[in-house]
This record gives sequence, C-alpha cells and structure tokens, in this order.
Amino acid sequence: MRANRNLVAGQRLPRLDGAPKVTGRFVYGADFALPGTLYGKVLRSQVPHARIVRIDTGRARAMPGVRAVITAADIPATRFGNAIKDQTVFATDTIRFLGHPLAAIAATSVEAAEQALAAIEVEVEALPALYDPEAALASGAPLLHRDWHDYVALPFISRDGNVAGRTRMHGGDVAAAFAQAHRVYENRFTTALQHAGYTEPRAASAAWDGGDTLTVWTNAQLPFEVQTTLADILGMPTSRIRVIVPGVGGGFGGKLRIGVEHFAALLARQCGRPVKMVTTSEEELIAAHPRQAAIITLKTGVDRDGRILARQGRVIVDCGAYSGSGPGTGAVALQCLVGPYRTPNLEMESLAVYTNKVPSGSFRAPSGPMANFAVESQMDMIADDLGIDPLELRLRNIVRDGDTGPAGEVLRAVSIEECLRRAADAIGWHDRRPAPGRGKGIACSWWMTTGGSSGVYLKLNTDGSVNLASGAVELGTAALTGAAQVLAEQLTLDLEDIRIAPVDTQSTPYDYGAQGSRTAFSVGNACIAAAEDLRRQAFAVVARHLGLPADEMRLQGKCVVAGEHRVPLSEVARLSQLGGGGLIAHGTAINPPPAYDAARVENHPLPVWNTPSFHAHAADLSVDRDTGEITIHRYVVVQDVGYAINPTYIEGQIEGGVSQGLGQALSEEIVYSDGRVLNANLTDYKMPTSLDVPPIESILVECPSQAGPYGAKGVGEPPCIEPPATVANAIAAATGLWVTSLPITAEKVLLSLRKEYPQAVDHRDSARD
Amino acid sequence: MSFTVHHPASVSDAVALAERYGADGRFLAGGTDLIIQIHRKRLASQHLIDLTGLAELRAIEDAGDEIRIGALATHKAIERNPLFQGALVALAEAARVVGGHQVRNVGTVGGNIANASPAADVVAPLLALEAEVVLQGAAATRRVRLRDFLAGPGRTMRGDGELVREVHVAKPPPRSATAFLKAGRRKAMEISVVCVAARLTLDDAGRCAAARIALGAVSATTMRAEAAERALEGALLTDDVLRDAGRLAAGACHPIDDVRASARYRRLLVEALVPRALARCVERISGRRS
Ligand SMILES: Cc1cc2nc3c(=O)[nH]c(=O)nc-3n(C[C@H](O)[C@H](O)[C@H](O)COP(=O)(O)OP(=O)(O)OC[C@H]3O[C@@H](n4cnc5c(N)ncnc54)[C@H](O)[C@@H]3O)c2cc1C
Repeated sequence: MRANRNLVAGQRLPRLDGAPKVTGRFVYGADFALPGTLYGKVLRSQVPHARIVRIDTGRARAMPGVRAVITAADIPATRFGNAIKDQTVFATDTIRFLGHPLAAIAATSVEAAEQALAAIEVEVEALPALYDPEAALASGAPLLHRDWHDYVALPFISRDGNVAGRTRMHGGDVAAAFAQAHRVYENRFTTALQHAGYTEPRAASAAWDGGDTLTVWTNAQLPFEVQTTLADILGMPTSRIRVIVPGVGGGFGGKLRIGVEHFAALLARQCGRPVKMVTTSEEELIAAHPRQAAIITLKTGVDRDGRILARQGRVIVDCGAYSGSGPGTGAVALQCLVGPYRTPNLEMESLAVYTNKVPSGSFRAPSGPMANFAVESQMDMIADDLGIDPLELRLRNIVRDGDTGPAGEVLRAVSIEECLRRAADAIGWHDRRPAPGRGKGIACSWWMTTGGSSGVYLKLNTDGSVNLASGAVELGTAALTGAAQVLAEQLTLDLEDIRIAPVDTQSTPYDYGAQGSRTAFSVGNACIAAAEDLRRQAFAVVARHLGLPADEMRLQGKCVVAGEHRVPLSEVARLSQLGGGGLIAHGTAINPPPAYDAARVENHPLPVWNTPSFHAHAADLSVDRDTGEITIHRYVVVQDVGYAINPTYIEGQIEGGVSQGLGQALSEEIVYSDGRVLNANLTDYKMPTSLDVPPIESILVECPSQAGPYGAKGVGEPPCIEPPATVANAIAAATGLWVTSLPITAEKVLLSLRKEYPQAVDHRDSARD
Repeated sequence: MSFTVHHPASVSDAVALAERYGADGRFLAGGTDLIIQIHRKRLASQHLIDLTGLAELRAIEDAGDEIRIGALATHKAIERNPLFQGALVALAEAARVVGGHQVRNVGTVGGNIANASPAADVVAPLLALEAEVVLQGAAATRRVRLRDFLAGPGRTMRGDGELVREVHVAKPPPRSATAFLKAGRRKAMEISVVCVAARLTLDDAGRCAAARIALGAVSATTMRAEAAERALEGALLTDDVLRDAGRLAAGACHPIDDVRASARYRRLLVEALVPRALARCVERISGRRS
C-alpha cells in the first residue's frame, strides 16, 4: 500500500457501531417492537402454479386472537416492482410459485396467527408449470404472465413473453474472427440459486397515525425504495410514509427489495394496531430474494499464442415467478463475461426468464460469480489445452491503462497485472501441483462501483462534534464508519467526534442506498462536499466574529485558524447558534459514468461501469480422490481498493465475501424438485461454517481512482466474485478436470473423476505439462 | 404448539410421569432433536418430561470390564472423557463431530440413541462396539442389544413409558482399536451423508481376530456390515482385503437418494471409508504396540 498521510482516513480505527454490536445492546430491525404490537404472518401457496378458485378466510377470522385478515380481495391489485411492475402483494388469480403470498393475518401472538393461517381454506386448479428457463424460452412454451404486455417497465427494458429482459453488447465481427482463430472453445456452465445468508431474517414493524400517516421500522437496505414501493402499493404520497431503519443484521442485496413491510402496513391499517412481522428460515429459503440460478454458454476463439480474438457469450438468468432484479442482473453479467481482457470482437446476450420458482434478487455482485465462473474456468481450459501457464495466458490478454472496455469506454487506473502477479506470488505459483491430488488455482475479475447519488447533512455541535445524517444504511460493512473517517479527516476531527444519525426517510437526505459497493465511496464523497460547505460556513462565522477575511482561514486541530487566532469548532458552533440558528452543512455526490459507445450496447441498465476495481484470487487445495472431498489449505485475495479508507473492515469484507463465494462454489444451493424446495431449512441449506473456511490472506492494492474519496474504489461486492472459479481451477490443477456446474460438491467431483457426471470437462487424457 | 413441561426429581418420578402420559409424553434431554421436531410441527407432544435435573443419569463410569454411559452424558462429556481416548476412541471421534459446540454441550448420548436417526453419529461406534441399552420402565428394568433396540428411522423397541437409562460398552480385548469417519458437505453442523465406525482386534500373528463395522445413513437404521466383517476375520489385512471389505459393505447397504446425496454417492463413500476406517484401526493397534 502507499504511504498514508492522513490521520483518520486510511487508519485501522474501530468502527463506531462496534461496541453495541458485540455487547448485544444494538437494536436490529428484528429486535424492534412497539407497545401493544400484534404479530403478522403470511399464508403462502403450497403449489407452484395454479388458478385460484376460492380463498375462504371465514374460519380464520373467527379464531381466538385474530385481529386482521387480508387477501387480494381486500386491496387494489396494484402492481409494483423494481424494473418491471409485475408483482402484486398477494396472488390475485394466479399462483406463480410455491410460497406465493395468498393472505396475511395479524394476531395477538405468532402462534395464534399461525393457527389461523392453517384455518384458511384455499381451493386451486393446477396449471402446467415451467421450472427450466430454457424450456420457458422454447417456442410454444406457456406464457407465465399472460398480461406481460400491460406491465409498466423501465423504458430501456426489452421484454418478450417469458423473457423479462434481454440485453446485448457487441463489437467487431465475431464470426469472421472465429473463422480465423487457431482454436475455438465452447462450454456450458450452470450455477445454482443461492440465498444471501444474512443472519437476521427480514423484519418490519408498522404503525399508522390517524389513518393517513404510516411509519415502518424495517431492516431494509433501501429505505427510500421501500418508501416509494409502499406509496405505490398503498396509493399514498411518499411523504406520508416514514421509513426508519433501526439496524440491519446483514443484507448482501437480499434486503434491497421490499420484504415484509407491505404486509405489516396493510395489516396494521386494517386493525388499527401496530403489527410486527419476522420471516422464518423456511420463508427465507422459499420466498426471499436469492441469487439467480444461471446457464451460461461461452465461446472463445484464440490465436496460437492464446490471445483472445473473439468471444461470444449468452447468459440465461432464472428470475423465478417475477422479474425482481433479474433483468439488471442478466445485463451486468455481460461485462463480466468479457472480463478484464482485451476482446477485439465480442457478442454478448443476456436473457432474464420467468419460471415457476422463487422470485430472485440481487445478491452481492449480482451476476459476477456466475459469469466469472464461466470465463475463468474457460481461460484455464484454454491454457491447459494450449500448454500455456494459466497465469501467463491471463497476462497476455489482460487490459491495460488506456485500453477500451466492452462498451468502448477508456479504462483508467487498471491494476489487474499487479493483482494477478501478487496473487500468484503469494500462493506459490511456481509450484502449482505440490503433491498428488493437490493443486493451485487462480482467477481474476473486474467489477463496478455503482453510481447513484448521495446527500448528507452535517450539524456542528457545541462540543465540537459533528452529526452526520445520511440516507445510506449501515449494513454491517462499516461503510458508514468509513465515510465518517473521510469526514473526520476533512474536518481535522477524531473519528469519535462524528455521530451518525439513524436513517429515517423523514429527516435524513436521500441516498441511492447501501448497495453496489458504493456506500463508503459515495457517502464519503458527499462528506467531502459537506465538509467544504461546513468549512465555508465556519469561516464566515469566525470572519463575522473577529472581523478577519474568511479566505485566509483554515481548519487545523479542530480549530478555525485565522492568523494568530484559533477558534475551536465548539466555539464556532456556539457563535453560530447565537446568531445563525446553528451550523448545518449539506453535501452531495454523484459519480457520472464515463463516455462510451452507445452503438455497442442494447437495453442495458448499466451500459458502462463507473470506477471499476480489479482483483485476483488464488487457492491451494487438496481433493480426496476416494470421496471427492475438498480441503482448502490457503486462500489469497489481492484486491485493488484504490485507497484503503479502513484496511481492517476491507479485510472483513474480503473474508466475508470469500466465505459466501466458497459457499456458492462448494456447498450452497436451494434445491428444487417439481417446484418445491427440498431444503427449506438451515440443516440442509449449507452455508459454510468456520471450519469450512480456510485462512484468507488479504493483500490490498491501492491504484487510486479519480472519482473516489482519496482515490478509493468500490470494495464490498468483489470478494465473492472469484471464489467459484478459483476453486474450480484449483480442483482442475489437482485432478485434471473442471466441474462446470455449481456448487462443486464432493459428490460431483467424485462422480466426475469416475466419468459418471456429465457436467465436467475432463482433460486427464489429453497431453499436459 | 403448546405443552406442559414436568421437572421430575428422580428417575422413578420421570418414569412414572412417562407411564402416566404414554404416547402424549416425551422425555426432554438436550432438546436438540425434540425441540426442532416440535418447531417443524412433526411432533405435537402435550407433556415434556425434563430429564436435565437428574444428575445420576449423567455419569460415565468405568465398571471394570465395561463402561457405563449415563443417558444424559453429553457429546462434549464423551469427547473429553479419558476413557474414550484409547481403544474406544471412535466414540470420542463421533461425539466430536456432532453439530457444533453448542449442540454438543447439551445434546446427549441417550437422545442420539432414542431419536434413532439412521444418521446418528454416536450410534455408529456404539453399534460397532456391540453396546447394550438399559431401559427402565415403571415396572421393570431390562437390558437389550442396541442393534435390537433400533427398529427403523425414528423408531425403537422402547415402550412409551420406558426411559433409556444407560448404555453399556464392553472394553475390547488387547490388540483392539476403533475408528470413526464421517462424510458430509460441511466440516461441522452436518448430518452425516455417510458415517462409518470400525472396531478391529488382531491376533498375535497380525491376523484379524474380530471385526465390527457399523454404517450410518445408508439404511433404515444404523447397520452392521456383517458380510464385510466375516470376510475380514481370520485374514491378513492387506490393502486388497480392506478394499474388498469396503466393496462388501457397499454392496450390503441400502442407501436412498435425497437432497443430501445420491444413493450412488453414498455407496461409493461406504466403499471408500470402510477400508480407511479399518486401516486406521490397524495403524492404531500397531502404533500402540511399538
Ligand atoms: C444444529 C444441530 C446439529 C446436529 N448435528 C448432529 C450431528 O452432527 N450428528 C448427530 O448424530 N446428531 C446431530 N444433531 C441431532 C442431535 O443433536 C443429537 O441426536 C443429540 O444427541 C440428541 O440428543 P438430545 O439430548 O438433544 O435429545 P432430545 O432432543 O432431548 O431428545 C431426542 C429424542 O429422544 C428422546 N429421549 C431423549 N433422552 C431420552 C432418554 N434418556 N430415554 C428415552 N428417550 C429419550 C426424546 O423424547 C426425543 O424423542 C444435531 C442437531 C442440531 C440441532
């Protein structure tokens, strides 16, 4: 890392919310309860696809403790959704997935509500269901949304029947390049549905004030989106809906879209009492917002030296019953399919497809790991086939500063070579197959820092401290501590002098939200702008007080310094209260996307990436040839963070992201059979435990960006991108074969070794080094 | 979900309560199986008879030629007890991989047996050790072989009011060793996809004098691989012989396909883990002699 001249930014300081969190005093969304609250529960369908004949709530209404019962019949059939408004609160006439909400009940206890749910009579008529997105694409497949044409969608989205979104990127002439290529490789990869795995279930409490003003306390990641979605559903102006986020016990993208807030709000309105809802593990696994399963086909043509001539890719993301974040997720896969490689000819397509399964969301680096698994596995297959070292093959193809990216944008602050070389050094690349059954793998990627605007307010307190009000939620990443470090640095304060206000849509300024690796970056930038505003105002206060010119003042050691005079910020606050109603500063930030060539991109929500980051991972593992079991000995991450605002929490992001990525790589999968989840519990949905995660070594590279605070780049999402590919490549180094289907369970490995598993690419018989 | 919890002060009170409530009553030990079954609505017991106050059921005793394990002995207690460090180490190896620390701190051997999951980890070494179960009813106490006690998935020959009081394990003769191996998707908090326990005794010539192999999660109850045992007895334990035992065991089990693994994979695991567990026993016996 570069030498850091800052005193607060760049330092390994303890996070501001650490003590209450580790001592159990912190109030999370699921802890929050109002006096006199009722408890809400949702009745979910037991069938994947059906026409509703009758829902009878008569018996349920008469049950003891029941205070409110609602179904689609009680509310307008308003459609809502992120990219496409295709969803209703309850199934209206058609059930589209097992778990589809049919009714909700509020009662005096959770048990009473559950008993009443069981008393609701539901009569349905089964419809033929579609579980396989490729089948849903086939001509003549039944339409899962007969009214899809009438749905309101964001203007860029291209839809067609069961296709909720189609995106393309292209450049050059792929066919001609394939024709001239030394070799062309074509492979197919599949990945599984993965739950975001937050520790705290989704939770919300809702209370109405006088029937026309609603307050919701929720652990949502995007309080402003929850506010507008509730406004859509309830038909109310946004200002009459107040969303407060007490605290979030992990989100990872799974809490971006509305969760249970609308049920709580509707129930509370009907019975005139506060209602609290918390999801169960089963609801989480059958009806949350998991990472889409994907099918990726990738075709790459190379010259004799392994240089990429052309790449054609197609990703199908399985949205489930509603589009959710599917269209955007599919689109973003395209940049990942190109990867950090010079690709003179490319043709990429994504399809987000409806099926009768759980609607999916945007889990951390939404399609990054799936696309990267495909690209980086194939890079290794090419290297192996051509007899080129996989690191060398990558070094021959990576982008360099000033190259153009997939949308024709100019790439800056490119650090991929350093990341690759350092990862290889750290893992001991010179000895790639140290023992029989043992191998080392490497994979690299790039990722965006999502745009979107941020606003912050600052209030200077009479003790010299500063309140920071941001609409960005602290998800647990310590991103707000990072932003506060930037702010403290700018104002010559200590980190402890910053007080972060709770997020409340009524009082905190707008923020695009805690998502997309943007929080510390964007809120940090808004803090820099607000600090500038605060300084200007403070100097004006001192100028009035001392009769000195403001333009010769500076901040130093928590004081405004004007010639010989040093006026402490506490004094500035006092002075401003005497004459100016206190000192309030405001700052905003937006990171505009770079220029690109629009002719290369069709129907893409994020056609060009802001401030990309670069990274490489390497693993050293052993494969038990008799059981297929994998033991990872070491795992190395080299990540370009631009500027490490707080190295400790960046390492935390890396360790957590790698753990999630290893789960996706090796063990996690929501398993469906005939539309039913077979493992809707945490016994059989297998997130890695502490014993499954190897020691993770983090190496931070600081290749500064133009746009981020002190040169920072987005940090949060990338660590979960490369683990599946890294592991797949290390397994291939150990065994000679790549399993092309996630998760790479021990069972798949063993069956592949025995040639009993079809989704594997076996190079054992071909000549190798 | 509503039930009454009873806190009997003695084993006889506990048994009397169980007798009174019959099928409506359940003993509550660590609760790590029971509470989940109630929570998932697979069980609706009206009366829970809490055993945790009955300290006498926690004891692990060396009774000379056998070891008596009280039903309330926790997995953690087994894991830590020096009695299970020598020839009986398979018991500690199995106890050590049950769930995570929290589960092992409260989950009991009695619960593991009485719950009769075909994947119960501690049952496998107990079966390989030909353990016996002492059952106490209101009228009588009886002692039955563990293999007879296990009747099917979740089913035992325990009568409604009967308490599992102890498990008895005979100390193996000299030149004996045990080993336990478990395969699953994770290294902790994992229900066995397959588990294997082996007990081996060698004669002075290095031939197999006795072999016992128990397999978990590959049939309706934890099972013995008897054909494999017979093939080993009297033989010199070469790699080929051990491999054959693995094949025989794999051929004898009846695994199913489920969300955790395919039957095919389970069979392959048995084939791989049986020789490995046996080889470990051989190493332990020869290691101890040197
Ligand atoms: C997260 C988690 C992980 C787990 N992992 C494993 C694992 O890796 N391996 C494994 O084998 N198991 C595992 N289990 C299951 C469980 O922990 C064990 O089976 C444990 O030994 C059960 O003991 P208990 O004392 O908690 O039984 P309880 O839940 O109290 O009782 C289980 C059943 O046995 C009956 N019972 C209990 N004691 C007696 C008695 N003395 N006499 C008669 N009947 C009795 C009860 O009425 C009940 O029907 C896991 C459980 C959890 C929750």
